[in-house]
Amino acid sequence: MTERVKLLSHVEAINWNRIQDEKDVEVWNRLVNNFWLPEKVPLSNDIQSWATLTPDEQTLTMRVFTGLTLLDTLQGTVGAVSLIPDAITPHEEAVYTNIAFMESVHAKSYSSIFSTLCSTKEIDEAFRWSTENVNLQKKAQIIESYYYGDDPLKRKIASTLLESFLFYSGFYLPMYWSSRAKLTNTADLIRLIIRDEAVHGYYIGYKYQKGLEAIPEERREELKDYTFELLFELYENEVQYTHDLYDSVGLAEDVKKFLHYNANKALMNLGYEAMFPSSVTDVNPAILSALSPNADENHDFFSGSGSSYVIGKAVNTEDEDWDF
Amino acid sequence: MDITAAAPEVKQDAKALPAAWAGLGYHELNAMLNLYGQNGEIQFGADRAAARQYFLEHVNNNTVFFHDLEEKLDYLVKNQYYERETLDQYTMNFIRDLFNHAYKKKFRFETFLGAFKFYTSYTLKTFDGKRFLERYEDRVCMVALHLARGDESLATKLVDEIIEGRFQPATPTFLNAGKAQRGELVSCFLLRIEDNMESIARGINSALQLSKRGGGVALSLTNIREHGAPIKQIENQSSGVIPVMKLLEDSFSYANQLGARQGAGAVYLHAHHPDIYRFLDTKRENADEKIRIKTLSLGVVIPDITFELAKRNEDMYLFSPYDVERVYGIPFSDVSVTEKYYEMVDDARIKKTKINAREFFQTLAEIQFESGYPYIMFEDTVNRANPIAGKITMSNLCSEILQVSTPSVYTEDLGYEVVGKDISCNLGSLNIAKTMDSPDFGNTIETSIRALTAVSDMSFINSVPSIAQGNSQSHAIGLGQMNLHGYLARERVHYGSEEGLDFTNIYFYTVLFHCLRASNKLAMETGSAFAGFADSKYASGEFFDKYTEQEWVPATERVAELFDGIHIPTQDDWRELKASVMAHGIYNQNLQAVPPTGSISYINNSTSSIHPVASKIEIRKEGKLGRVYYPAPYLTNDNLEYYQDAYELGYEKIIDTYAAATQHVDQGLSLTLFFKDTATTRDINKAQIYAWRKGIKTIYYIRLRQLALEGTEVENCVSCAL
Repeated sequence: MTERVKLLSHVEAINWNRIQDEKDVEVWNRLVNNFWLPEKVPLSNDIQSWATLTPDEQTLTMRVFTGLTLLDTLQGTVGAVSLIPDAITPHEEAVYTNIAFMESVHAKSYSSIFSTLCSTKEIDEAFRWSTENVNLQKKAQIIESYYYGDDPLKRKIASTLLESFLFYSGFYLPMYWSSRAKLTNTADLIRLIIRDEAVHGYYIGYKYQKGLEAIPEERREELKDYTFELLFELYENEVQYTHDLYDSVGLAEDVKKFLHYNANKALMNLGYEAMFPSSVTDVNPAILSALSPNADENHDFFSGSGSSYVIGKAVNTEDEDWDF
Repeated sequence: MDITAAAPEVKQDAKALPAAWAGLGYHELNAMLNLYGQNGEIQFGADRAAARQYFLEHVNNNTVFFHDLEEKLDYLVKNQYYERETLDQYTMNFIRDLFNHAYKKKFRFETFLGAFKFYTSYTLKTFDGKRFLERYEDRVCMVALHLARGDESLATKLVDEIIEGRFQPATPTFLNAGKAQRGELVSCFLLRIEDNMESIARGINSALQLSKRGGGVALSLTNIREHGAPIKQIENQSSGVIPVMKLLEDSFSYANQLGARQGAGAVYLHAHHPDIYRFLDTKRENADEKIRIKTLSLGVVIPDITFELAKRNEDMYLFSPYDVERVYGIPFSDVSVTEKYYEMVDDARIKKTKINAREFFQTLAEIQFESGYPYIMFEDTVNRANPIAGKITMSNLCSEILQVSTPSVYTEDLGYEVVGKDISCNLGSLNIAKTMDSPDFGNTIETSIRALTAVSDMSFINSVPSIAQGNSQSHAIGLGQMNLHGYLARERVHYGSEEGLDFTNIYFYTVLFHCLRASNKLAMETGSAFAGFADSKYASGEFFDKYTEQEWVPATERVAELFDGIHIPTQDDWRELKASVMAHGIYNQNLQAVPPTGSISYINNSTSSIHPVASKIEIRKEGKLGRVYYPAPYLTNDNLEYYQDAYELGYEKIIDTYAAATQHVDQGLSLTLFFKDTATTRDINKAQIYAWRKGIKTIYYIRLRQLALEGTEVENCVSCAL
């Protein structure tokens, strides 16, 4: 890819006291509160559990994570950055920079998982697989081509589909393991990532819908058709990719239902109706329940750090608080 | 008798399962609890189906078959699964009758999590871990036989209390009793560390030894000299408490209890220790790897003076433990900072630094937001309420143990020059709902006190002599309580309402009376009281003043109604008890402590401790279980309004409830505070001030709930909807 991502041509000092879109502030605050680093999760507590996986299961897990690493790298270094020049408000630009940074944190998190659980040789092996897997490379290329293309709304469509749909064939696995009491700390970390991606997909989709408001009906129709075409292209590829990964452990059919569910979710974020009927989106309830981005699980000191703490808002106490 | 039949050990739904559930595994069925049904109802049936499926799919197929009880016990003893000594104390006839008696009670697990937890973590398994050797009834009988030490009548009473769900021993006791390969029966240990290398090394060794044997360990770091303090009078030599914390964290990770659960530890530090900010910063989100503490729990000891300084918005001085010990001749933790504060400020021999008191509280709240830690112990409140001579300087991993301790002195080779007194405590909890249903309230408590005392009598922790010494002198136990919210909801009383508080007060008041009476009986039977009884407020009679000089009766009609048939002790009862205690003493130095009750409340079908529920359907995550869903006890689709969760209730109602209980509990109560993510550090500070003013002794975790951003939630998810 030789074209360069376009940079913003004109920058003005950002004034957070003049808000054009409240959603920008709401999402910014949420993202800041959700800030985290992989070092907080005691991944090493999963070493014993890792050893109970069969070699096939271990290979699968590593491949899934290299796949996710690729997508997060793409989204962090190109995807979120490419959205900045099209931003409608300066605060939207700021939100994208936050998204870009967190995607890089995510990409690095997978490396933390690898270095905790596997040997260097195994890691290299898994990364080699990810560069050689045709379907994984294809999905990255499809998305990347839109990021470098010149249609800002199509960039948002591609970005939302990546955030809300393409990640989930990978997210399935750690959720599946944790519902079986395996790699639960890794699952905590992944749930933190899911918590972020849910907001990212929602926000970019929202901005896409804002963008639609400003264009003629005819073009809106065209973009909608385009969205479904792109989703279908990605879906076909994703089904292949799912089989590549999950056939060895017999989970492919279940993962596909999860894909349908998330494809609908991505469309919802973009403001469109569902593509898959509910008969093919009946996701395993254990996975669906585990997906809830709410931070309300209960755990204690014997059970890892959990995925529920946030950075708080510091406010001084006043004299009246100390009135005793 | 048929102790091996494959009948499911769970309640069955009369109705057949809906077609949509066919073919789902037990994990999937259980997860349906967290997803609303078609008509917006919570799918309780799915959870019962999950429990049933779990037995059919997993438990029954993996249980070792025996023809009869004799064959089973014989096999288990010969193959070193059961302790021969436990069974040898009884005749085979009695044992057979006892098991029969237990099986006739037709115990059934109420929830999937209850059954799953029991079979995953408690029941006896073959050494390869693959097959089950015990059913629930077997575990109960072995616990009863072990704790009753040959007393047939006590063994029978214990089986009744446990299997009918009134008394539930804490995890280490319930897990280990009667097994040949096991850890200790005691839950909890507290150790002092003094300001010398021998004591630090002993502390780490003890952490390893005690984790290996089961139970959590807390250590006080208050006496360790601060970062930059002199060593051998040379300035800037000491590296403070952080490296000690790192050593402890790694020690706990290394030692686990036969793989049953990870070692866990806590460290306490006094608010006026110069390393206090360093200590707290170890839990920061962006802390450097070298100083970050991931799994060790933190606690801060706060005296009254800190609140006074914050009220006046003044600076607070931090004192070098090294200098304080040299000036006063006793360790820093044994000095009352509130009492000596200004004296120490004025003493030029004591090196000090200062920070702003309000800023300190705000920092505390910031860290609690990010990590849930530290726990807090209100030092002066705790010591004012302590009937025993000596000073309480720390709490434990769950912040409910509050006992006095004395320092040990070590020789260079880590031997003991003086064996001090460190703290252990074994716990067990009453299910409040079941206890209120008990045919004999007083007897339920007496039996429980006897069971807990047996654990103390049978424990000899020789690897840590100061613990062994403490236990043999004090026989300290901690009877806890759980299922308060479940009980109140069942009786259609709102948690934290006037009636809710009234009930809590009268219930704990009545429990205290029976605890003391039972311990007094034990003292008469054994002819001995705990060491130090003579110097206690029990011996002087002062402890009883608030019960003999004031009348305690229900303030509301509803509570009087709930106690219909249960005798509420009168002032005369107390006068009589006081006379007997002053004459004969009590056997146990400490009697009550209300723990947070995680695992055992699931098995026992209780709400945790005396908290409100965290959620109607709780998401439980544990290393051994994965993510599992648990419905609040007695919850149906018709009484949802009584299950307002802790985040909705707000901190005042929780603190008021705990305050009502605290006044009748000699040790502490694990009190978690719950906030929505819209809260600020100021809200947390306000709650801390409120708790301190209400006479709360300790605060356990701060928990935060962040709801999904609108538009990102999972459809139909019970825990998303509010």
